[in-house]
Amino acid sequence: MKWLYNSMIGYWITLLSISLVIAALIYIYWLKDKL
Amino acid sequence: MFDFIIAGIEAPWFLLVLTGMTVGMVGGFIGVGGGYMVTPALIVFGFPGYMASGIDMTHIAGKSVVATVRHRQLGNIDWVLGMAMVGGTMLGVEQGVRLLTLTKNYGLSGVILLTTSVLVMIGLFVYTQVETQAATKKTQKMEKEGVKVGREVMTSNVPAFFQRISLYPIVRCRTARIVISMWVIVLVGAITGVLAGFLGVGGGFVRVPALVYIVGATTHIAVGTDLLEIVVSGGYGALRHSMMGNVDFVAVLFMIVGAMFGAQFGSIATSYVRGPAIRYILSYSLILATVGAFLRLAYMLTGGKYDVLSFLAVVFTLGEMFFLCFFIMSLVLFAVRYQNGKSVPDWIPSLVVKK
Repeated sequence: MKWLYNSMIGYWITLLSISLVIAALIYIYWLKDKL
Repeated sequence: MFDFIIAGIEAPWFLLVLTGMTVGMVGGFIGVGGGYMVTPALIVFGFPGYMASGIDMTHIAGKSVVATVRHRQLGNIDWVLGMAMVGGTMLGVEQGVRLLTLTKNYGLSGVILLTTSVLVMIGLFVYTQVETQAATKKTQKMEKEGVKVGREVMTSNVPAFFQRISLYPIVRCRTARIVISMWVIVLVGAITGVLAGFLGVGGGFVRVPALVYIVGATTHIAVGTDLLEIVVSGGYGALRHSMMGNVDFVAVLFMIVGAMFGAQFGSIATSYVRGPAIRYILSYSLILATVGAFLRLAYMLTGGKYDVLSFLAVVFTLGEMFFLCFFIMSLVLFAVRYQNGKSVPDWIPSLVVKK
């Protein structure tokens, strides 16, 4: 778990995962019907 | 949801504000307009393609004014460098648009456009990553030896070669602290302008690395000066798009409300970090945009059969904006913690500025 914070690559992966989850939730709740 | 009458669609207004804020922050930090992120996002929100381009260009012009004013206060603008580049860029953009029309006449524009876009982005990503990692290692070595490290650390020798070219007139860029032939600056602006005109983007993601790795400006000066350039080229683009009826000004207003805050934060954030940190964020934005483009292309090439590709393309388009914002906010948070003597991840000290 420390690797996700102490290593730049680990932190990159953590932030990207969080961002993609937020984007997926926005898509599902507000944009799915538009596409 | 809000009814955008000019665009003829209903779209979630808060997503426009959020997009404006996130791209404003990224743009203020790395000195790009963000069109390669915003236009696909607006298409996802339901705006027609031509309207997405027009809204994007108009919001970029407004957002860049905010970011440029802030960068000017931070001392990150070299007016001589900026004005010389504007001339070259305008010339180059015109040629780029003509080149695009030529490829369109041969029926090859889509393939060539995407290939050029991907090659340029991947090439810039690789070069920026390699150089920035070398610069970070050099910073860590210098700090271990007790040598005082400034705001900028660069390892590329290419600027020295171009600064030795003695074609008159030679200009003295006082803020950037470089003496260089004006023809180098104009040529850099022209080549980046051709790429921008051909790819249909603002070109900041090419110009900022060009200012750093060819002209030899520091990353902070490159960011501020490029934003000045975007005010001019974006303003002209906004005027042309609005004359063509491609702009829904209410949508632009929502985006600028968000961008006003985002661009200010992004610009101020540059004063907390060293040059390599800005170059890292720039390279990440390039590779993520390339992945998003690949997913969209894969969906198109498979005839729209696989909905999962469309889902992934949309999620990546939106997700990359949030990721870059979170990273920039993290850098500022860690910089403040580091300056106050609190614990930070091991990779932070070489990227942020000590008080």
